[in-house]
Amino acid sequence: MEQYDTALVLSRVMTSGIVMSIEKNDKELPSLERLLTKCSGRLKAVLVNSRSAAVHAALTGQDIVHGDQAVLPAGLGDRTRAFVDWLGVEDAAGPGSTSAPAFDLLTLTPANAADFARSAAESTAPALVVDLTGLGFGPAGAVLTDDERIWARGERLKIFGAFDLRTMWTQQEAEAGMAPGVQFNYRLSPLVAACARMALAQAGSRTPATTGGSSR
Amino acid sequence: MITDFPTSPLALPDPAETAAELAEFGGAAMIPKEVRRTVFPVITKEDVFTMLLAQRSDPDKVVADFAQEYRSYVGAHRALPTASGTSSLHLALIGAGVQPGDEVIVPAFTFIATAQAVVAAKAVPVFVDVDPMTYCMSAEAAQAAVTERTRALMPVHVHGLPADVAALRGVSDRHGLALVEDASHAHSAKIGDQVCGSLGDAAGQSLMADKNFPLGGEGGIAFFGSDDAYQRAVDFVERNGIDYGMSWIAAAFGAGQLKRLPYYDAIRARNARLLAEALRETGLFTPPHVPEGHTHAYNMYRIGLAPEAVDLADLPVWAVKEAVHELLTAEGVPAREWQNTPIPCHLPFRERTGFGNGYPFTLNPAAVRDHRPADFPNILAMLESTVVLCRELRSPVEYERVTRYADAFRKVAARPDAIRKLVAEREYVRPHEKAARLG
Repeated sequence: MEQYDTALVLSRVMTSGIVMSIEKNDKELPSLERLLTKCSGRLKAVLVNSRSAAVHAALTGQDIVHGDQAVLPAGLGDRTRAFVDWLGVEDAAGPGSTSAPAFDLLTLTPANAADFARSAAESTAPALVVDLTGLGFGPAGAVLTDDERIWARGERLKIFGAFDLRTMWTQQEAEAGMAPGVQFNYRLSPLVAACARMALAQAGSRTPATTGGSSR
Repeated sequence: MITDFPTSPLALPDPAETAAELAEFGGAAMIPKEVRRTVFPVITKEDVFTMLLAQRSDPDKVVADFAQEYRSYVGAHRALPTASGTSSLHLALIGAGVQPGDEVIVPAFTFIATAQAVVAAKAVPVFVDVDPMTYCMSAEAAQAAVTERTRALMPVHVHGLPADVAALRGVSDRHGLALVEDASHAHSAKIGDQVCGSLGDAAGQSLMADKNFPLGGEGGIAFFGSDDAYQRAVDFVERNGIDYGMSWIAAAFGAGQLKRLPYYDAIRARNARLLAEALRETGLFTPPHVPEGHTHAYNMYRIGLAPEAVDLADLPVWAVKEAVHELLTAEGVPAREWQNTPIPCHLPFRERTGFGNGYPFTLNPAAVRDHRPADFPNILAMLESTVVLCRELRSPVEYERVTRYADAFRKVAARPDAIRKLVAEREYVRPHEKAARLG
């Protein structure tokens, strides 16, 4: 994304005065959710403030918690493995395992953002973790899923998240076991969300380059 | 383009309005509907320019420069910028040496993140009552809760009023415990000349955009009193692959805001003083208690009720509170509850599943209690007899607005008959009998 475009987006959101994720009239977070679900073909998105938060939401969303085992995606980096271990979740897959993983992980950068839709379509796991940090606006991530329960549980991992906002901040639950016992403040800033959305939208609309340079 | 610029100015106060019929019963509201919005955070052209300049800098440097500047303002030894207040509290506990299964004593009246940060550190929160005057953690209650497995005291400078750090430090020193501040409400709050965040062995502080010192959306900062504590926190996130980093966008926003923080603090203090004077005249309402030598940051402004002062002693105070809430809201002054039950009565601490399968509560079952609201009588009394102004006074509101707030309190206090009528007509319930609210 060009610096001018980032400047425009940041100025627009700051001028609106709405920079808090807990504002009912925030439009930036829902807009990023819509773009991510549209591009990925998944029904629901949980926005969070980092890659590790997204991994946490993907596991908690499936009720994979401390003391449980999960098949982790092949090629998962040491840092993310260390985080899963810190959550108390063991890797269920041995070397060379062909079992389906609990989640897939996509790391987006300006260089590969244009391929997001295609990469997301290849994911078959119930939850797709998307690390948006590489887009350049600070730590950011998302969990994309078709499963309403994964989304609902993932949302509830955030204190004062979208779920709490809808219930006017009560934590009363109609269904037992929906709210995670430990909650983190994984909320994403609307300013970061707005920039990430612009970067993804521009990448998605970019005409593929031909030999000899950019066709933009 | 939408904008937060107000659509029209608020009219100057008129003494005749105070004597007019209450808005609840058809009179004109003290703050008309179309001018009720308070702008927060205030975002200036300088903030936008600072943000645009930051875009051209190294993102890590933007965050580091911000953290250094704010650390210096607070007077803390070391600082670690984070993504949120909860993560800052988590890292403050880790830096202070809290280990899985340890007990950390926390007030049962705070935002739930205080206790959730203890669980994030895989320790067990032990809840205690608050002081009946300051609503901060009671040093006596903390002393009584210390066991061999206690590792830290974690007072909260609730609403922006510093806790009794001297008394709490006495308890922590006697038992060899760490003192970890939750300074999430207490930006610029002080005891003497020492700023909250620099008073304990470590501290966590939320910098989300609804705080007195707001960043661009979400953010926090952990402070440490020693290099060792700082390094423990840094090593912890690295070893465990936890990404608690702050966005450069949040930091750049904060860099602009920090320059104006003393100005906004001064307006909040002026408004709090003005309102306190008016409340004292009413008899029914009492302003927040501020101990000598403490500087209150007024992130929230909790107002007490004295029904006996207006011949309403025969009514339950919680019913008077509900009626007052209804009358003030109709006048355009949304005085709220902000919490209606002690934190251990919220779902996560009733079920105590933690990270899953009861962890870390299973590490220390002796520390776990099934609490009822009545276990915390001072909190219960406070919840039943107080209302709170939040953003309405946190925002650096103009003189005519705070004067109108004062007039709204005067108007309601002058009508005990209306309070009595509502109590008779409505079916109010005690605060803790409603669903637990996060805020």
